[in-house]
Amino acid sequence: MQCEAPEQMTDFLCGGGRADYNTILTVDGLRFGYGSEDVLESINIDVGRNEFVALLGPNGSGKTTLMRCINKVVSIREGVIKIDGKDVDAMSKDSISRLCTTVPADIPTDFSLSTKEFVSLGRYPYITNWWWESKEDNDIVEKTMYDFGILHYANRRIHELSSGERARALLAKGVVQEPRLIMVDEPSAHLDIKYKVQVMEMLRGLSRSGLTVIMASHDLNLASRYCDKAMLLHKGRIVAYGPCAEVMTPESIREVFDIDVKVIHDHGIPYIIPTPPSEGDIEFKVELPGCEKNGF
Amino acid sequence: MKEKSDAVSTVEKELDKKLGYRSRNKQRLMMVLAIGILGIIVLFIYSLTMGVYTLSFSEAMGDFWNILTNLGPSDDMGEKIVYYSRMPRSIGVLCVGAGLATAGAVMQALIRNPLVDPYITGVSSGASFGVVLVSMLGISIGPLATISVPMAAIVGAVVAFGITMLVAEVAGGKAMSYVLAGVIMSTGLSSAITLVIYYNVQDYAGVMKWMFGTFMDLSWDSVVIMFFGTIIPIIIAMTFARKLNIMLLGEEQAQYLGVDVCLLKRCLMVLIAILAAFCVAYCGVIGFVGLIVPHVCRMVVGGDHRLLIPTSAVVGALLLLVADIFCKTVAAPSELPIGAIVAIIGVPFFMYLMIKEGKRYAM
Repeated sequence: MQCEAPEQMTDFLCGGGRADYNTILTVDGLRFGYGSEDVLESINIDVGRNEFVALLGPNGSGKTTLMRCINKVVSIREGVIKIDGKDVDAMSKDSISRLCTTVPADIPTDFSLSTKEFVSLGRYPYITNWWWESKEDNDIVEKTMYDFGILHYANRRIHELSSGERARALLAKGVVQEPRLIMVDEPSAHLDIKYKVQVMEMLRGLSRSGLTVIMASHDLNLASRYCDKAMLLHKGRIVAYGPCAEVMTPESIREVFDIDVKVIHDHGIPYIIPTPPSEGDIEFKVELPGCEKNGF
Repeated sequence: MKEKSDAVSTVEKELDKKLGYRSRNKQRLMMVLAIGILGIIVLFIYSLTMGVYTLSFSEAMGDFWNILTNLGPSDDMGEKIVYYSRMPRSIGVLCVGAGLATAGAVMQALIRNPLVDPYITGVSSGASFGVVLVSMLGISIGPLATISVPMAAIVGAVVAFGITMLVAEVAGGKAMSYVLAGVIMSTGLSSAITLVIYYNVQDYAGVMKWMFGTFMDLSWDSVVIMFFGTIIPIIIAMTFARKLNIMLLGEEQAQYLGVDVCLLKRCLMVLIAILAAFCVAYCGVIGFVGLIVPHVCRMVVGGDHRLLIPTSAVVGALLLLVADIFCKTVAAPSELPIGAIVAIIGVPFFMYLMIKEGKRYAM
């Protein structure tokens, strides 16, 4: 697979600089809110082709909302979002679905679809036959399911899969949709470390084979290990955006997550280790009721 | 790359060998339809033999064939009875069974709640209220009854449904809003029906038959309206099968796949209300078909609506036809109210279903 190495491109992108390179996603002056409150404010980002970008931030910082704006599930108040040079606002839902999709952390499984039927739903934007999928659609689905190692679960119902298998089925469904940009919402949230690594490898593999991946995550270390760039989101604003090593500093983490961390660099990859707060900084002190009385 | 595609094809071959993998769903659909339609034809002819004037199965089949080929009955007594009294009834039963089951299947996907049926939108209570009101006002006496009762049912159903929809939409249009609004609507209308009956007990017998569900006095005129009123919405619902599959993923996921969820939901809700209104208009309230049949079918053929909707329609038609034959034979020459029979069979089954499947549905 011949792809440009994103590491070389990132040099002139530091500090969210708006360099003129092969961009897939441009967000310009985005403002969005629910009701009277603004959830996202003055968001400006460029994401290049084949990049794997981590979207990091505390709960409620607007990660999911940003992804929803890009996917036009909600309508934005101000700004322009362009995917592959096309204005999202002017596009129909149908054409957006062929450019960009979002993979949720989990889905309700209370329906009796088999894994293959489930993955096939991702072909919906392309299906022209009026009743069944065509042979080509079927081949794409089977090939993708094979790549994700779930083809042998094809006839198993989706709720019978383990969470690791379901995460892969969800990704496969996103991939058969053949978007240019795929946004993944906490793909490793419920997984053990083995599956987490597996999913990360898959996502990076996807980004190297022509798909741009944006991933919302809470796992700073996995993100810095696997992603090309990181975006720190705090209270609806972008605090830092660029290569992981530059974005993940003790200062920025302190600002965004409100914790003290130590950052260790290993072969240029930053690893974040939280340090316990000093006695005076502890916000909540939890004690067993009655422990003083018992003399502990 | 070549290695990989070879590996894919070996996996495929294995699966093909084991399950007839690629065309599994198509084969299943064909099988269900073949068995279902054969069963319907046999039971349909069997249902024509039922009644005071005795006919054997082969006589009934001969009469039915003659009617079909001559496009009407000859002077033969058997043919006349089959044509004027027994055929409309059996066709009506089939239409209502298929209609209610389809409405239930669509509704369960749309509301994303497997324990709802078409009546949850307030359709049945609205229709009942309309019929009770018309009967108590005395408009339904004599020849007027063939028009006024179904009209009242349809108007009542559509108005109640409209109010339910309005409340649900204003309350945010979430799946649960429709269920809540429907339940509240039904409760209110049931109380109103109780009040009207309370002050007009002497007229109660007239509406009782309708409220329990009956196919007794169906004429060809009504059956023709029923036929088109149910078949057309069922066919339209089938064209939405793939979109309904997408709806199973939840509303946001459906949007990522390019489906306009709001529009789809509104269109299908109206379609289901029309379908359900035609089902209740002539034969009264028959519960549980719309709830149970889609569940049974989903257990057998899975959740893909391209399989589920045709299967539900066929199974619903079959089930109601069996129930109707049961009602006609058990207490012959008098008959049992079909709505009550279906419900009596339905309640324990539904309880079983709730206990077995309820937990998984995260209610």
